[in-house]
Amino acid sequence: MPEIQERGSTHVYKVNRISKEEMESMVARCVYEEPPFCNAACPLKLDTRAFLKAAAGGDFKKALQLYEKATPFPLILSMGCEAPCETACRLCERGDGIAVRAVEAAAARYGQASRLGSVFRTKKKKTVAVLGSGLFPLFLAGELEKKAYPTTVFCEQDDLEAFLHCETEFLDEEAFALELKRLKGKDIQFVFGCDPDEAFFARQREAFDVLCASETVAKKLFPSEEADPALMILASEKLVTGCGSGVMAAAFGAKKAALTVDRLAQNLDPRNMRGSEGAVESRLYTDLSEASALRRVPSEQGGYTPEQAAQEAARCIQCHCEECMKSCAYLKHYKKYPGLLSKEIYNNTQIIMGDHQLNKPMNACTLCGQCTAVCPNGFDMAHVCAVARRNMVSTDKMPLAPHEFALMDMLFSNGDAFLSRPQPGFETCRYVFFPGCQASAIAPETVKAAYLDLCSRLDGGVALMLGCCGAICDWAGRCEMQESTREFLLTELSRLGDPVIIAGCPSCRKELAESVGGEVVGIWDILERIGLPEGTKRINRPAALHDSCGARGDAHTQQAIRNLASRLGVRIVETKYSGDRSPCCGYGGLTAYANPEVAGEITRKALERTDAPYITYCMACRDRFAREGRESRHILELIYGTDAGAPPDISEKRYNRLNLKRELLREFWQEETAEMKLDYELTFTDEARSLMDSRMILTDDVIAVLNDYREHGEAVLDSETGLLIARRRLGNATFWVKFTEDQEQGYTVHGAYSHRMNVVRREG
Amino acid sequence: MAIERNYYTIDPEGKLECMKCHVPLIKGKAKFMYLDNGFPVELPVCPVCGFVYVPEELALGKVASVERALEDK
Ligand code: SF4
Ligand code: SF4
Ligand code: SF4
Ligand SMILES: [Zn+2]
Repeated sequence: MPEIQERGSTHVYKVNRISKEEMESMVARCVYEEPPFCNAACPLKLDTRAFLKAAAGGDFKKALQLYEKATPFPLILSMGCEAPCETACRLCERGDGIAVRAVEAAAARYGQASRLGSVFRTKKKKTVAVLGSGLFPLFLAGELEKKAYPTTVFCEQDDLEAFLHCETEFLDEEAFALELKRLKGKDIQFVFGCDPDEAFFARQREAFDVLCASETVAKKLFPSEEADPALMILASEKLVTGCGSGVMAAAFGAKKAALTVDRLAQNLDPRNMRGSEGAVESRLYTDLSEASALRRVPSEQGGYTPEQAAQEAARCIQCHCEECMKSCAYLKHYKKYPGLLSKEIYNNTQIIMGDHQLNKPMNACTLCGQCTAVCPNGFDMAHVCAVARRNMVSTDKMPLAPHEFALMDMLFSNGDAFLSRPQPGFETCRYVFFPGCQASAIAPETVKAAYLDLCSRLDGGVALMLGCCGAICDWAGRCEMQESTREFLLTELSRLGDPVIIAGCPSCRKELAESVGGEVVGIWDILERIGLPEGTKRINRPAALHDSCGARGDAHTQQAIRNLASRLGVRIVETKYSGDRSPCCGYGGLTAYANPEVAGEITRKALERTDAPYITYCMACRDRFAREGRESRHILELIYGTDAGAPPDISEKRYNRLNLKRELLREFWQEETAEMKLDYELTFTDEARSLMDSRMILTDDVIAVLNDYREHGEAVLDSETGLLIARRRLGNATFWVKFTEDQEQGYTVHGAYSHRMNVVRREG
Repeated sequence: MAIERNYYTIDPEGKLECMKCHVPLIKGKAKFMYLDNGFPVELPVCPVCGFVYVPEELALGKVASVERALEDK
C-alpha cells in the first residue's frame, strides 16, 4: 500500500486548466438565475416577482417604485397593457394566473410616487426634443426624463390636459387625474400649439442634440422612410420615432427609443451594447405541487381595494428553482445555488497563487448525487466537486489535512486489518464476501454472522475479504492511490480464483464494479434468492428505509432491500426523499472528516424526514444516525439478530476491525495471532475519550507518545495542574498527551491534542 | 541589528519543569515550520535538553488557524 505524503510546499504554481466551454455548459444547466415566467414575458422587464412580493406585504410604496422602474406612467400602462405576464404565469397550469395588471393598478393608486423633486437632479448636457403627441411621445418623454435628459415636447395641443388626453381614452376620470398630476410633477418642458413642418424641423435640428417624433409626425416629415423596429430610428438616422400601436407597443417602443437617444447623445452606435431587450424565454423550473390558492381574487368595480390587491399578490408562489437547496443541507449551509457555487469551485482550481477559499466547500459536498436526482436539469454538483478535488490533488495544491485521517484509516483497513482467505477446505472460491470497512468497524458481529450464513448456504465456497474498496481515496480525489488499491484488490481476487464479489455495502458494490469489474452483486441479491436464514425474527413495526447514495439510480438494489424488509415484516414508511431522491447520511465524500459541522447538518436533515426509526443498508448510515441519537439498524442486523449497539468511537472502530480479523482467523482458519498487549496499565478519563474522538486522535497515537516517554523520559510537568505532558511527532502531526503517572496503576490520560506544524528550536 | 519579529511569545513563569533535566522551562527561541514556511516564536523551552513545549491553547488556537490559512494557499 502506498504512503500518503503531505505536499511539500505552498509555493506550487501549477494548475490544470479546465476548458471554459466545459465549465460554462455545466453552469448553464442550473436555471436558478433564469427570470420568472411573468418577468420573462414582460417586454418592459418589470420585476414582477419582487413587485408582487412587495404588494403581498401591503408595501405599495415599494411596489410602485419597482413598477416605476418599468414605466414612467404606471396607471396608463396598467389600464392599457395586454398583460403578457398574466398568460405566462406558471399558475395558469393549475388555475388562474396572477391578475398582475389589477395589482399594478392598485399599486399605482395606493403607492406614493417615489420622487417629488426630480428638478434637483443633475441634468445631462445633451438636449432632446420630442415632436408630436400620443402614447409614444408621452412615454418617451417620461423615459428621457428618467435618464435626466433635458427634454422638450412640441405638440399641437394647447395645454397639458389636451396632450394627455391624446390616445388615453381608456383611462377613467380618477386615473386621468392621477396621471395628469404625475405628468405635472415631471421635469419635462412643453411647447404647445406647434405644427411641426419641415421648417420647424430644421430649426429644432439646430437647437437640440437629438430629435424624436411620434409616428404621425415622422410620416409627415419623411413619408418614404420606415423606422427600424429594434432601434426606433429612421434609416437616415434623422429622427428617433415610434412604430406600432397599443399601449405596450408605445411603452416598449419608448424604452428602446430612449436607449437609442442615449447612445446617440454619447456619439455611440445605437446598434451596439444594448443588452437584453424585450420579452425572453425562461428556462426556469418551479415546483407547483404546493401551490394552493388557484382562483383569482374577484375585483370590484373600479379595481382592487388595497386588501384585495395584497391578497391577490399573495397568491404568487414567487417562482424560484430551489429543488436542490430544499433537499441538500450542504448547499443550504453555503447558501449558494449550484450554478454559482460550481463556478466558484472551478475558479478555485484555477488560482495559481493566493488563497483557495473554496477548498472547504469543495471538500464538504458528500458527492452523494441527490442534487442530480432532484434537479429538473440533472445538475451534477458531485461531479463538479470530485473533478475539482482531483484537479487540486494532481497539481499538488490539495491540503492533506482534511482527508488525512480517512486515508490513513483506509491504509489501515487494507494493511493491518486486511484479511483475504478462501473458505476453509477450498483452494479457490466461487464467491467472495466483501462486507466493507465500515461494517467491520461498526458491526463486526454482524459481519461474522453473515459470513457464516453465506458459507453454510452457498455452494462453491465463499471466500472472505476484509478491507476497503477504494471509495475513500476516490472521494479524496487521489487517483494514484485509487489505482494502486485497484491493483492490490485485483491481485488478492485472482488469488481467490476471481470469485463473484458479494458486497455488503452498496457503495462498495458500486466502487468495486467500477474499479475491479467482474461480477459484483449485493448480499441483498443473494438473500433475496436464497431466502432469509432460518430463525430470523419478524419485526412487526413501522420503519423508514434510508436509501444509500451508493444505490442511487439502482432501482434493483432499492427494491431488493424493500423486499427483504417486507419479508421481515417491516411496515415501510416512504418519505418524499426516498429512493433516488434520498439524502446522504453525512458520511459520503469524506465530509464527516473534512467538515464535521456540515456533516452533522446533513445527518440531521436526513433524519428530519420522519420520526420513525430508520433501517439502512449501509453501515456508515446506521452509525451516523445512531450518533445523532436516532434508532437505526442495518438490515443485516435485523436479518441476523445481531445488535451493533452504541456507535463506536474512532479507536474502537480500529480495534473492532483488528479484533474481527483475529477472531475469524482463530475460529475459521485455526490461526492464532497475538494480540498487542501493553505491559503497563492505561486508562482514560471520559473527557479525554471524547476529546480524542472529536480531535481524531487514536488510542494508538496516545500509546505511541507514552511509549516514547517511557523510553526517553521527555515530558513537561505543569505545576498548576499536576499533569505531565509528553509529545511525539507521528507522520504529519505532533501529538501531545496530558497524563498522570502512578507506580501501580500505570498511566491515566486526561487529555490529548495535536498540531500539524513542526516546532523546532532556533539558535541565536 | 534588525529587530527580530516573533509571531508569538509565551513566558512559562516558572510553572513548567522539564521532567528529564529537572529544571524549569524558560522563555526561549523556537520556530514553527509548515509546508516550507517558517515562523519564529518564543515558547517555553528546556535550557538543558531543548525540549520545546506547545501548550494546548496555542496548538488549538493560533497554530491551528495558521495551519488552515497555509493549507489553503
Ligand atoms: S435544482 Fe438547483 S441546480 Fe438544479 S436548476 Fe434548480 S437551483 Fe439549479
Ligand atoms: S406565480 Fe408569481 S412569480 Fe410565478 S409566474 Fe406567476 S406571477 Fe410570476
Ligand atoms: S451533498 Fe449531495 S446533494 Fe448536496 S451538492 Fe453534494 S452531491 Fe449534491
Ligand atoms: Zn530538559
